[in-house]
Amino acid sequence: MKGNLYSSLRRISLLGICILFGAAMTFAQRTISGTVVDNTGEPLIGANILIKGTSSGTITDIDGNYTIRANDGDVLVFSYTGYQGQEITVSGQSTVNVTLVQGQLLDEIVVVGYGTVLKRDVTGSVASLKAENFNKGIFTSPDQLLQGRLAGVNVINNSGQPGGEATVKIRGNNSIRAGANPLYVVDGIPLDGRSARAGLISTDIGDIPNSNPLNFLNPSDIASIEVLKDASSAAIFGSRGANGVILVTTKKSLSDQPTIDFSVSAGVSSILKKYEVLNGDEYRSALQDYGNTGGNGGDNVDAFDEILRTGVTQNYNFSIGGGGDNNRYRLSFGYADIEGIVRESGIKKYNAALNSTFDFLDDRAGVDVFIVANHATEDIAPVSTNAGFTGNLVAQALQWNPTVPLYTNNGDFTSGMNNPLVGATTINPVALLAAHDERANTTTLLAGISPFVNITDKLQYRYRFGVNYGQGTTRGNIRGWINVQGIENRGFAAISHTDLVSQLHAHTLNFNTDLTSNLSFSALVGFEYQKFDFRGEAFAGRGFDVLDRDNTVNLQNGAPSDYLSFSFADPISELQSYFGRVNFNLKDKYLLTASIRADGSSKFGENNRYGYFPSFAVAWKLSNEDFISGGVFDDLKLRLGWGQTGNQEFPAGAAQERYQFTSGGVQQENVANPDLKWESSSTLNVGLDFALFDYALSGTIEYFSRNTDDLLLDPFVSEPGPAVRAWRNITGEVVNSGLEIALSAFLIEKSNVSLQLGANASFLNNEFSNFDGATIQVGELFGQGISDATVQVMTNGQPLNTFFTREFMGLDDAGNSIYRDNGDVFYVLGDPNADLILGATANLTVDKLSVGLNFNGAFGHQLYNNTANSVLPIGNLGTRNIDANLIGGEIRESTANAIAPSSRYIEDGDFIKLANATVSYEIGKVGSFNNINVSLTGQNLFVITDYTGFDPEVNTVNLANGIPSSGIEYVPYPSARSFLLSVAFSF
Amino acid sequence: MKNKIFLALLVLVCSFSCSDLEEELREDLTAEEAAKLVDVSSLLAASYDGMRTFQDVARYHMVTQMHTSDELLGPTRGPDWDDNGIWRSLHSHTWAADHAYLAASFSEILQVVFNTTNLLNFNPSTQQAAEARFLRAFCVFAIADGWGQVPFREAGTSLLEDAQVLSAQEALDFIIDEMNDIMGDLPDGPAYVANKDAAKGLLIKTYLNKGAFLNRQSPTFDQGDMNQVISLADQIINSGKYSLGNYFDNFAPNNDEISTENIFTGENRGGSSSGAVRSRWFCGLHYNQNPSGWNGFTTLSDFYDSFGDPDDVRLGGDYAGQTDVGGLKTGFLVGQQLDQNGTALLDRKGNALAFTREVALRETGNNLEITGIRVIKYTVDYNGGDNADNDYVFYRLADVMLMKAEAQLRNGDPSSALAIVNQIRVARNADALGSLDLDVLLAERGRELYWEGHRRTDLIRFGKFLNAWQEKAASGPERLLFPIPAQSLAGNPNLVQNPGY
Repeated sequence: MKGNLYSSLRRISLLGICILFGAAMTFAQRTISGTVVDNTGEPLIGANILIKGTSSGTITDIDGNYTIRANDGDVLVFSYTGYQGQEITVSGQSTVNVTLVQGQLLDEIVVVGYGTVLKRDVTGSVASLKAENFNKGIFTSPDQLLQGRLAGVNVINNSGQPGGEATVKIRGNNSIRAGANPLYVVDGIPLDGRSARAGLISTDIGDIPNSNPLNFLNPSDIASIEVLKDASSAAIFGSRGANGVILVTTKKSLSDQPTIDFSVSAGVSSILKKYEVLNGDEYRSALQDYGNTGGNGGDNVDAFDEILRTGVTQNYNFSIGGGGDNNRYRLSFGYADIEGIVRESGIKKYNAALNSTFDFLDDRAGVDVFIVANHATEDIAPVSTNAGFTGNLVAQALQWNPTVPLYTNNGDFTSGMNNPLVGATTINPVALLAAHDERANTTTLLAGISPFVNITDKLQYRYRFGVNYGQGTTRGNIRGWINVQGIENRGFAAISHTDLVSQLHAHTLNFNTDLTSNLSFSALVGFEYQKFDFRGEAFAGRGFDVLDRDNTVNLQNGAPSDYLSFSFADPISELQSYFGRVNFNLKDKYLLTASIRADGSSKFGENNRYGYFPSFAVAWKLSNEDFISGGVFDDLKLRLGWGQTGNQEFPAGAAQERYQFTSGGVQQENVANPDLKWESSSTLNVGLDFALFDYALSGTIEYFSRNTDDLLLDPFVSEPGPAVRAWRNITGEVVNSGLEIALSAFLIEKSNVSLQLGANASFLNNEFSNFDGATIQVGELFGQGISDATVQVMTNGQPLNTFFTREFMGLDDAGNSIYRDNGDVFYVLGDPNADLILGATANLTVDKLSVGLNFNGAFGHQLYNNTANSVLPIGNLGTRNIDANLIGGEIRESTANAIAPSSRYIEDGDFIKLANATVSYEIGKVGSFNNINVSLTGQNLFVITDYTGFDPEVNTVNLANGIPSSGIEYVPYPSARSFLLSVAFSF
Repeated sequence: MKNKIFLALLVLVCSFSCSDLEEELREDLTAEEAAKLVDVSSLLAASYDGMRTFQDVARYHMVTQMHTSDELLGPTRGPDWDDNGIWRSLHSHTWAADHAYLAASFSEILQVVFNTTNLLNFNPSTQQAAEARFLRAFCVFAIADGWGQVPFREAGTSLLEDAQVLSAQEALDFIIDEMNDIMGDLPDGPAYVANKDAAKGLLIKTYLNKGAFLNRQSPTFDQGDMNQVISLADQIINSGKYSLGNYFDNFAPNNDEISTENIFTGENRGGSSSGAVRSRWFCGLHYNQNPSGWNGFTTLSDFYDSFGDPDDVRLGGDYAGQTDVGGLKTGFLVGQQLDQNGTALLDRKGNALAFTREVALRETGNNLEITGIRVIKYTVDYNGGDNADNDYVFYRLADVMLMKAEAQLRNGDPSSALAIVNQIRVARNADALGSLDLDVLLAERGRELYWEGHRRTDLIRFGKFLNAWQEKAASGPERLLFPIPAQSLAGNPNLVQNPGY
């Protein structure tokens, strides 16, 4: 599973146990210093030095040097990812130099909920990825760094717009409703999960996909990401843990010496895969073929090219780190300017982060402080997810008649007003680009302060206060000369604003001791309180005196009858939790972990205010048994875990009877449900970790089975009812099960050449079962001729979001579609959930040159190509463009063939993608510059797929009754292929 | 030292401990707050707003009363309006229990039933209670008409209890009792407020349709019920408040001022707050007309031909404020369409925009954009922006007169009935009829009340609903009721699916 974890041979390991667990707790100490090198004499940067039996330690700097204070008799434990650890007892030395030998892979430190453990002592299913193994390329948020890298973790972009949200699923889909994304925890602070980016009131061009709520983090500030996949590891997060937990750990300073790191990268992006439509000549020939005498404007125009560009990206990252005996700090600044490949779109990010730790009272107390501040400016293209028959920008560009110029001879935009070949409702895409402006400014602050006290050398108390403040302002303006229904001759201007604040107070006590020489014990108890606050307001106007200007600066000029205002404030939701965990380690062979969390949430009904989430896990280190030890296995560990987790991602106020203010009155909108509670998941996990042949081959095989019940749904209240809906925990369960395999192999391992291959595979199965309710229709389609049509269902015995539609049987002689049973009966005709998700990596290092490749793919699922269905049908011929696949078939399709949803547009979604390829060269030291590294990365270099739409890895998400669609493509913002040249150095 | 630190920490822990987790609402009100703070008039306003569901193009009136009948067709036009067959299934009587618009109609109308019942818990004034009870009865009638059974809760009943279900008989008894109870408390007007004449109108409909509601396959009409119809209708007709006027004024943006016929309407406030009455013109108008429409629904040539007399003003013509602004005529749009300057319009393919008489359920020809006669009953409000001013007509005088005539005819008094019909026809500039039977009366109701949301009820009452007509084969008796929506059925065990579904 953690194929990449072990490849960190040369790069820095950024996580020091000292920083997490604080300062040394010793008396009458003196200073010991030294250097840690590998067997070739190269210094090891960021190697851990820990005083055994305590939580104090340090890490080496960029020259491999360290300084630590210890007493005679203390044992120093030296460890480094991928290397065999060493223990040295202090007895009067002031210098201890250590050479570590490659091999001891499992000494890596892994972040888990409320603490860290050594990789070899992990009992649950925890996948970890260090910075050096992240995906390379142009990214705005950390979830994209994981795509394809970890077994069981699937990341699919919802939009190609830079900064767009992704759908992240850990071990499949748990939930019928929205709210199936994992919990993100940054340096111990659980995030809200929503973005503060403000959306505009109805713009008549549809809804813009959400922005990624993690955009505020600078990927280059992240040291490692851990994914808690099973319930035995995630149960400590209780009612927010059911979808898995992603722990993000930011970079700390590696050294006492002031060190400055600087990197600059520049890149270009262009479209990955174009949708095939007819060019001007092909269009003329199709018109001729169909005997259509009109529709030819005589030109050759590629309107899609006209909305695209080569996007230029610049990214600068600067950090300074250092410290003294009693403090460490790392301060970083980042600036990224990422142009989208659609004109007028992109994101600029300004980022600052501080991470520091201070020790007091002879290191018996200390405080960790971190602050991330980010401002993002997004220029948003009018590529909505739910455009009606006039389409979004991408649809309009694809549909544009390729024989008609986009501009008149006078340089005006071609439209129905000046060219009879253009229909009144056809929107010129370059005109829409010119008429539409939408800019979202989002400012986010995440700050944490965490004082701690080592009460004894075995007991530590820590308090953590965190605040996450986000505020977004979005301004949108559409000039009234554009022929968009509702905007034409009126104009549209809107301003929206949101505030999203969450707060955390957490208290933990950590206890560590050796009960006997064979049995060690550690325990954690904690109390945590979180509070979430979300509110916002919006204003919009139309009917302006001057149409051709930005009217967001003079909303008052809009027609009074068109003025719209709106505000909301969700109920403040509170989460109050008590939790504990114990670990036993007997003879370093038998490990036991048990945890429990009690979560009280203001969202739950009063009869179910608290939920309890237990977990148990055991592990057996077979390689430490005599009958295995010394054999072919360097490591062999069997793990078994079970636990319960919850999902409470439903709206605040759902349990209460509520009266809503409408535009003209007051009405009840929600029915009280005092029994309302979280969705509950039980997961069983069995895993085997192994390493063979002197650690040349290592890996993990895991099986899991997860049942989620008490599913939340807000169905119609039994009529006559107030609100449309009422929240219930319904009967029925979602069962996900699967097998995950992760392998890592060092094929060549020499001092100047190494070749490492990694692969991960996840076989997933998803089923909705024991559901006795009426089939739920989801997967609503949008576009011409398919209003309110759905193509997916949630029904008993099928996977979630099963495709359910007419079965297409071909065309009849007249060129019209034939459907099984005349199209009156719908059938189950596909499944958007992949059966197999693959990732593969290859890393070759020859001397100072290294090459890395990352592939990912998904198999055994279907996608619905609604771009073909509703945007580019044959009926467009004569007025607008069509899908190139419609021409040249055996039967000529009738231009009057109805746009009907059917299996005709369900395609296999199998793909394999070269997600990124990086060539880098370590120049090393030049003058006063150290660690000069130059790299060239290609991102999304190619995709192999039979899918005819844009990108099989993009998912246009639309909600129907709060339930997201899955695997439906509808004229998305297209994916980019990028090349990025980076230079990094330090001094 | 250690102990002091520990103590300090304990204090710190305690300072942040133990929220009671009571959820505080902000944008919304709790039941207690609502009871204390909310003025009943706000709840009543929301109830009236709920009645706007009837205006929606994909809800009760258009979906159940018009698409299923011989006056309207939602054709699939090649690439447009397939919509998963949701429109075709209505006209061809092949709808099923998962029909999204039928389900939403059922639910939204019953929301008004809820809101108006709930309001009674908030100490309304006598008139407010009467208005709410009228709206509730109006909606109970609509559900009984469509589904033959009405889920219902008395005021104060927990929503978590399954609603009881009123049979058609119980629903009709309920309406009659309620109207008689509140009649004196209702105001005299205006039309957009529940008023005495509206209550009488509902009673007339109840008595007239009772025989059909209780036996849909072969309705019988009790003489006493018909006498009730006549007597109640006379109270309205003889009140002196209403008179037959200029036909399309009843549907104009300022119909609240200029209509002389409207008895009960849904108020739309131009430019500020309206239902979806605009969809009534958007749904048929071609993209290249002004306003640009959705190029959808049409009427059928047989229905159009039932008019006979070409001078009948109900067929439409120029209308000031509309034809001079957008070139549109009112009534039935057939043949070449013009803009406001009289220039002939083209369709999107550059052919003449000339609506044909004939139209098919599935259009497959080269002219599929222009097939079918379009209907402009509500005249276009070019000034209202997204909120058109046209009040939505529920009851008007001509309907009451025709119901009286029908009662007279059913009670064996064709000459009185004929006199009423001819009174209307003369007012509409149509030739007077020489004789009257039920078929002629049904046709006259079609001519007078087309696209106003009465047709299915009329066809059932006259025993014609299952017949074959244009683009529809004869249908089975189960089609006399709609299926209880699947989600609703699953949510309330007291509901029993209607036979045949």
